[in-house]
Amino acid sequence: MTLKIIEAKSRRTLPDLGEVWQHRELGLLLTYRQIAGRYKQMLLGGLWAVLEPLATLALMTVVFGAVLRVDTNGFPYPVFAFAGLIPWLLFSRATQAIAGSLQENMALLSKVYFPRLILPMVALFRELFDSLITVAILIILAAVYGFFPSWKYLLILPALAMVGLGAAAIGLWVAALMVRLRDIRPLLTIVLQAGMYLTPILYSPSMVPERFMPIYQLNPMYWAVELFRWILLGQDFHLTPSFYVAMGLTLVLLVTGLFVFSVYEKVTVDVQ
Amino acid sequence: MSNSEIAVRVEGLGKRYLLPHQGQRKGLDLARSHLAEFLPFLAHEEQDYFWALKDVSFELKRGDIVGILGRNGSGKSTLLKILSGITLPTTGRAELHGRIGSLLEVGTGFHPDLSGRENVFMAGALLGLKQREIRARFDEIVDFAGIEKFIDLPVKRYSSGMYVRLAYAVASMLRSDILILDEVLSVGDASFREKSQKNIESIANDGRTVLFVSHNARAVRSICKSGMILDAGNCTFQGSTHDALAKYMQDLHHFDEDVPQLPGHTAYSDIADVPRLTSGSPVLRWISTHSDDGTETRQFKTGESMIVRIAYEGATAPEPYFAVLLQNEFAERVATVHSTHDARAVTFPRSGVIECRIDDLRVGEGIYHLMIDYGNYGGARANLTSLDCVPNAGSIVVSLNDYVGGVGFDGYQGAVHRSAWTLIDGSRHQ
Repeated sequence: MTLKIIEAKSRRTLPDLGEVWQHRELGLLLTYRQIAGRYKQMLLGGLWAVLEPLATLALMTVVFGAVLRVDTNGFPYPVFAFAGLIPWLLFSRATQAIAGSLQENMALLSKVYFPRLILPMVALFRELFDSLITVAILIILAAVYGFFPSWKYLLILPALAMVGLGAAAIGLWVAALMVRLRDIRPLLTIVLQAGMYLTPILYSPSMVPERFMPIYQLNPMYWAVELFRWILLGQDFHLTPSFYVAMGLTLVLLVTGLFVFSVYEKVTVDVQ
Repeated sequence: MSNSEIAVRVEGLGKRYLLPHQGQRKGLDLARSHLAEFLPFLAHEEQDYFWALKDVSFELKRGDIVGILGRNGSGKSTLLKILSGITLPTTGRAELHGRIGSLLEVGTGFHPDLSGRENVFMAGALLGLKQREIRARFDEIVDFAGIEKFIDLPVKRYSSGMYVRLAYAVASMLRSDILILDEVLSVGDASFREKSQKNIESIANDGRTVLFVSHNARAVRSICKSGMILDAGNCTFQGSTHDALAKYMQDLHHFDEDVPQLPGHTAYSDIADVPRLTSGSPVLRWISTHSDDGTETRQFKTGESMIVRIAYEGATAPEPYFAVLLQNEFAERVATVHSTHDARAVTFPRSGVIECRIDDLRVGEGIYHLMIDYGNYGGARANLTSLDCVPNAGSIVVSLNDYVGGVGFDGYQGAVHRSAWTLIDGSRHQ
């Protein structure tokens, strides 16, 4: 016979990953619900997932590739920019989706009990699914420009997963803080916009002055973008000490994020 | 009671919510209370909080079915939310032995764009059902909802009736050891509600422990084995379903707190300032109910007499009438007692106290609300004009006693008639 004890001090419990595992069916169904719900109501369905990044890419190509003629280490601009844009879009969208996952699902939260950690996970899976579609376009685009698939393409999935974990590190923190401070969301949008320019997406990192490099490379997304260009375009990829610091910081943020989230999610329903 | 028999044990459970902006505050104090919302280390004061639930304790044995009664805002939902694990208590603890299933809302998790089939699995998973359990009972669910033809259509194309039937049908598959049900019988049309109630009764009689919240007194009476009343976050009564319902009905109609609550207490209620439908100034002042010998009481027996006294002031209608209307718990009228029904012409002065005597009360067992009406009688039935009407002037408790012999009868089957049954031809159909 299972025994459940509910008491005031359980407010301080640790994230219960075992309970999340027990509810995996629910997690899968919620993910399906969000993906299906998103595409079923749109006339063009999955086409939007393709059209949106392509439109961004077209604009970027015109402005930075044709007009400003940004240095791309000799790679064609569209495929160079797209290889950076795909991981970034995943990161930016997943961060926002995870950050808003509690507020978005208030109707469920206030009526049903399930481990709340499922919600940011569902948000992450939904964005990962979308990015699979854009990665497919990226692979086609690369082939059009003469970069054909190699064994390195097997690394795309782990690379996407790492970007997702990075998004979770920040998203969980923001989701927790947003329980009390709703105003944080616009701030996140601004920070993410700044992040896009601090990451070598539109331009090549070779344009950044050498002395700033150790700091510039502390951005984990720098490494994600460079990793994608290495996988798809065969661009050089050198690990520096900044890489280990960046990964270490992300990991710390992710673990602390999990704890902070599981403390604050318990009061979400009360302060909504 | 041995430990293994206990299903739910609740000790000193309390829940407070932060309401920092109430009351009279100025300057620094106001600023502090605003800031404290964001910076918890600036301590809140007691007046910043609102206790939705306070020091509630009870124990339920395995197989107990308890009805939780209370007005809106009395803490029922908070209690159920805490026991379901949706929100944490501020004080106290609860032990729940066994698998918990809770249904606080019908249709949680339904997505309008997904098909009925997809939504069944979705809603089932949210209730904690395994996919294979749902698959095994899928046909049963669809059958219960009666929507076989539409199961693959998106639910946004459903009528609202189909939608709630399907949502409820999923929920009816809940088979946990401890069931927490909130207002689940308020969906669908009358026949579906009856079907749902039978379903809950059969689930409840299966040895499960059930906490049941409903405004439907009939459902509470027929499903629950005991009752509990919550008022302003406090548990004010625990006992038999019958006593709990009787007390709840009294509370609901603002009977004086000081008088004894059950049998034989003063059955007087001041209706001068209660909600009413009136054109002009209120006329009805108070009413009281009495037994045959004139003693005030709210307890009556079917077939015996009831006296209602009505005091009024300023009845200026040219041809005044008064009426006592009995309503059951669903606000359905079950009896109309009208001064114009009396063949003797009575003249009513402008102010006074009148008495209405009913010789044989013919309603079945139950709790009835009294609606008192005053108006002008224009010489024909069609010309009755209500001038002051108090829909909830009080309530009475009627027991069937031994008016009719034999087995069961409740208040929902119309008037009670004594009848004689004789065999007049035993040879047919042989």
